[in-house]
This record gives sequence, C-alpha cells and structure tokens, in this order.
Amino acid sequence: MVDKKALRVALVGRPNTGKSSLFNRLTGLSQKVGNYPGVTMEKRTGLIKLAPGVLAEIIDLPGIYSLHPSSPDEQVVMDSFLNENVDEKIDVVIGLADGTNLKTCLFVFTQIIDLGIPAVLAVTMSDEMERKGMELDVLGLSESLGVPITLVNGRLGHGIKELQDNILTASVSQNIPFFQPGGLHLEWINKVSEDKNFDMPYKSWLFGLRGSEYEELISSTGKTIARARADEAIKRYRRVNEWLREFFVTHPGKDRRWTARLDRWAVNPFWGSIILLILMFLLFQALFFGSEAPMNFIDDQFAQLSNILKSNLPNGFLSHLITNGIIPGIAGVLIFIPQIAILFGLISLLEESGYMSRVVFIMDRFMRPFGLSGKSVVPMVSGTACAIPAIMSTRNMENSREKWLSIAVAPLITCAARLPVYALLISLVIPDQTFFGLSLRGLVLFSLYMIGFFAALIGSAALNKIMPEAQSNPFLLEMPSYRFPQLRNVGHAIINRTKSFVTEAGKIILAISVVLWFFASFGPGKTPDFTQDYEAIPIEDSYVGKMGKAIEPVMKPLGFDWKVSIAVLSSFVAREVFVGTMATLYSVDDNEKSSIREQMAKQKDPETGEPYFNLAVGVSLLLFYAFAMQCMSTYAVVARETRSHKFAAIQFLILGILAYGASFLSYSILA
Amino acid sequence: MYLSDLKIGQKAIVLQASISLPVKLYEMGCMPGEEIELNYAAPFSGPMCFLVQGTLISMRKELAQLVPITEPNVKSLTNG
Repeated sequence: MVDKKALRVALVGRPNTGKSSLFNRLTGLSQKVGNYPGVTMEKRTGLIKLAPGVLAEIIDLPGIYSLHPSSPDEQVVMDSFLNENVDEKIDVVIGLADGTNLKTCLFVFTQIIDLGIPAVLAVTMSDEMERKGMELDVLGLSESLGVPITLVNGRLGHGIKELQDNILTASVSQNIPFFQPGGLHLEWINKVSEDKNFDMPYKSWLFGLRGSEYEELISSTGKTIARARADEAIKRYRRVNEWLREFFVTHPGKDRRWTARLDRWAVNPFWGSIILLILMFLLFQALFFGSEAPMNFIDDQFAQLSNILKSNLPNGFLSHLITNGIIPGIAGVLIFIPQIAILFGLISLLEESGYMSRVVFIMDRFMRPFGLSGKSVVPMVSGTACAIPAIMSTRNMENSREKWLSIAVAPLITCAARLPVYALLISLVIPDQTFFGLSLRGLVLFSLYMIGFFAALIGSAALNKIMPEAQSNPFLLEMPSYRFPQLRNVGHAIINRTKSFVTEAGKIILAISVVLWFFASFGPGKTPDFTQDYEAIPIEDSYVGKMGKAIEPVMKPLGFDWKVSIAVLSSFVAREVFVGTMATLYSVDDNEKSSIREQMAKQKDPETGEPYFNLAVGVSLLLFYAFAMQCMSTYAVVARETRSHKFAAIQFLILGILAYGASFLSYSILA
Repeated sequence: MYLSDLKIGQKAIVLQASISLPVKLYEMGCMPGEEIELNYAAPFSGPMCFLVQGTLISMRKELAQLVPITEPNVKSLTNG
C-alpha cells in the first residue's frame, strides 16, 4: 500500500434511501466488513481509486433519521462526526436523499453540512421520480444548499462517474449554517466550543445536547434538551419546505399508489397474517430442505478427501490429526454455508422489498410481551432449522435489547440437529400406539417442538424483566415504499455474511473440534496405535470416556449411566453425534443404523434387570437435549455476534442448568 | 383529540403537545402544524401507521395516545 492517505468518504442518509445500492455500486467487490469499536454493529468499507493517484475509503455509515442519536446506530454516526482523531476524521460526506421522499432526507443532510464538512448530495431513485412525474430543479436546490447535487441510479449505475468527480472537488458549503441556535443558547455553545476546541457552533450544539455533561448550563436557558432538539427539527423542516416549494414539483397521491395497493393486503389484519404465515413457512422450507442437498454434498466431499488422504499419507499422528481432526473440523464450518447463504438471501429480499417493516408492524403486538420485536420472528423461524443462521440473523435488528434477547433464547428452538436424537429416543421408549387417532410418537415429537418454542418465549420474557431498563427507545418505524429487490445487493449480503461466518466463527469451531478430536482419540497414558493398521483406543479409555465416567455420579439423578454421559459429552461437537457415539459404545457396525436402536433396547439395568432405556430415562434424555446448548458451533456464533465469550459461556451454563433441572424433575417423577 | 382517536382514512393536524414527546417523532417529520392521516392499524391495539410529510410512520398506540391533534378533516393551521 502506498503511503498516501486515502480520502475518507462517508455515506450518510436515512434508511431505505438506496444507500447500500450506491455503496455496492461505488465499491464493488473491494468491500470489507468490520466492526465499530466497542459495539456489535457492522462496519462496511471499501477502498477505491477515485482518480489517478487518489484513493478513497468509502464508509457506509448506518442509516439515520437525525444526527441527534435516538438509537445505537445513530450514536455510531454522531460519534464518527465528533471524533477528533485525525486518522478517523471524515473528509467528505456523500449525503443520500431518496428523490421520492426528499423532505425528510434533506432534514438530515442540512444537519451534516452544518458541521462544516465538505459534502455532496446524491439524489437516488431518479427513475422513480420520473415515473411519478416529479420534477426537481437540481441547479436551484444545489445553489441554495451550496453543494453539488448528482442524480444517481444505483440500479443502473447512472450518475456514479459524476458523483465521483464531485467528491474530488467537494468543499464546505458557503451558505451554512441552515440552522442557527437562538441567542439564549450562545453561552453554553461557546463553552463547549472552548472546552472541546470545536470550530463549528453546530458541532458544539450536537455535543452539548447529547448527554448530561452540559445539561445544567442548557437548562438555565429555560429549555430542556428535548425541547431544544424539537425546536431545531421545526426550524430545519421549515427551511426545507421553503426550498421544496420553490424547486420541487410533485403530484401527491400518485407517488404512493403501488405501496398503498400492496399494503391493503400486506397489513390487513386477516390477509396480512396469512401472507406472513405463508412467507415464514416458505422461509422454513427453503432453509430446511433447500440446504439438504448442498450440505450432503459438502459432507460427502470432505469424507472422500479424508479417505483419499488416509490412504495416501504415511501413518502417524500428523495424518490422523489431519484426517480425523482438521478436515472434519473444516467440514463442520463449511457445512453451515448453505443455510447461511439461503437465510441471508431471503432476509435481504425481505428487507430490500420493504416487506420486513410490515413484518415488524404485524408482529409487534404479539412479540412485545416477551420483550421481542416483530423482527425476532426471523430468528425464531430460522431456529427450527439451525441456531447458527438464526443467531446471525439478529444482525439485522437495530434495537440491541431485542437482539440480545433473541440471541439468548435462540438455542432453545428445536433445530434440525436434534431430530436424529429425538427420533432414536422416541422410537426406543414411546410405544407405537395411537392416541385419539394420532400417532403417540408424533405427538411427543410435536410436544418437544412446542417445549422449545415456549421455553424460548418464556425465557425471553423472564430475561426482559431482569435486564436493566435501557434508555427508552420509542417504537417509531418508517414503512418504506415497496421496491423491487436488487439482486446485486442480495448477492453482496450473502457474500459478506458467509465470509464473516467462515473467517470469524469458523476459527472458533475449528479450534474446538480439534480439541474435541484430541479428547476422543487420546486417553490418560493411552495413545492410539498409529502403525500399519490404525487402531483407535476404546472410547471408554479416552479422555472423553474418563470424563463421562467421572461425571456419572452427577448424571445419575437424571438416570444417565456412564455410556449415556459419554454420548452427551461428545455430542457437544453437534447434537446428532449422540447417535454415532451410542453406536460406537454398543459396538454397532456403522452400516446398520437400525441396529443401534435394537442394541439400546437390549441393554438391561444392572440392578433391576429391566430394560435400561425405559420411559423415565428416555424422557429425561429428550428433555436434556431440548434445553441444553449442546453445540459448539452455537457457542462460537454467540461469542462472535455478541463479541463476548462471557455471554456465550453464561448462556451455556444457564441452559445447562435448565436442562439438568428439567431432566432431574422428569426422572424423579417417572422413575 | 389524539392521534389514537383517528379512524382509518381520517386526516387531522398535529398540535403542540404540552408534555415532552420523543424528539425522534419530530425528526421523522411528525410535528405540530403538519397534516397527518391514519393509513392502517394492526389488530388487538397493535401499532398504527400514519402518513405525515410524505412518510409512513408506525408507532404503538401508547404513543399515539399522547400526540394531540385537531378535529379530523378540519384544516386549521395552529402552528406552535
């Protein structure tokens, strides 16, 4: 990289203004996803060449309604403008304005240029403006704002070149300030400017109103912080309305026709719920069945690779590590890609089209008692396939409280990996009878799904009660106009999410799986024979086996003997491993899956001589698997999304205690 | 009258509130003197969606109950 510092260019605007389309157009595949320091919010940047010898780092700041923060997203944006660190200073702002909704977009833009930052305005959706018969006097508005305006079309890429040229020549508007705080505020504004060495009064205004530091001084003007902000909003809108009267021609009513037509169905109390139900069902289907073939493919390819290496590598520790530890570990990371790609493709379609806001609108009333928002429906539904994509989907939630709650309870939702365990145990201990014409086994399986679902809701409601009340974040939601989703943006969403999963959570998953491989292949004082005919040590002699035996006294009250304890421990790799471990423990040939069940059915309780896997043990195990966070990949993704191993560890512990309690209770009653 | 009293399709003008409302409401465009229309509402006292200054804004009923308005369809300008 050259020494020359790249120009830092930030994209700022309201949500739903086509910001990501423009960002994707400007940066293409050069974009990187990182994080803002201290928060879990995603930071998208891209390095591009603006002109010969001029590099620019384009920063996609979160969508905001105002520079005064009401949400963590807006906090991030304000912080990046008040940041005095020279290396992180923003050099140029590209203001975004949806041409079909100029008024509210210009409100934010005037705040930004009042900071005294070189700025340009990009008016998006120019094609829609034309279709709706809107006319904008670009020159007139540009003169009043004192900055250049470019009409852009992210979809077709129109206006991008002109915008890039404007960035190069961007300068501070000579017409500012558009908002001048009244004389009674001057005293405290001057004080902030002096304390903080701010050059622009509006910067001091923003800084002073953000918190308690200057509250006393401000209240001596007779105005509260909220009042002062409201005054600013009223004055700014007045200004913007004057401009629009002069430079903008619109035909009210015409511009919302399609959205109104679609909303007649989408938010109808009856049809809206049906449409939502159908869409969520399709999401589930796509996730559950659409991912099956690619997941099997990945599984097979890696098994094959492992076999090829096994027969070609010299015998020894290293080859065993590669073929049994590392390759299955990598496969265990990549296996999630189909689900993550499908889910984020679908979420991105929902967001892009504008429908996601309707989901929040319809579901709010039902999710609110549990401390969740309508957006939590997506992780809840995806959780029935797998907790990994479900937890990752909380990235699209703005309210951090709901995000944390959703992450905390997502592992309780019955995921696909529990199915093989459930199927085996149910067929073992639940008789094949009918109950009011319904299969008893089917009913038990259904009940387990319901237990997971209700445990998640109740758990969230309980956590919501315990969690300290955050700053009141009013539920105010913009319902964007419906738009045809742009495949380019969907593609970028899929690539970015998949990339960040593989490189971040993937690392943790791989590390844990190598550790678990070691625990399963080696034992105290025992090393497998690595000579010609590789012979594994018996699982009961391995570290996992020893641990299973060691915890037997703890597991006894749940009805688990040492074999079950080993299977429970080893299924931390993934829940379905339970079945395979059971097969190993009962020396069942891998190729005869049906005989696992028969072998298990034959096991006798050494004390009573009765079959060991009776109803009490079976139900206890089922409940244990329903509650426990028996999944290292879930742990890894939680740690990654919350940026906190502590959160993941506490969650693992609490869900473990819950599982133990439920199993203990059921076993005490049934045994 | 308050925003929550509007029927679907009714229009009114937002009045100055005597209590302090979330500033975000103002910043999103819902402020005294502006015409506002109830577009639709979710069942069971769920959120309500209003059209104001060309933007559709949804809010919970609890908040709508705090925003004062003129009688529906009366075009009086009472700028606060």
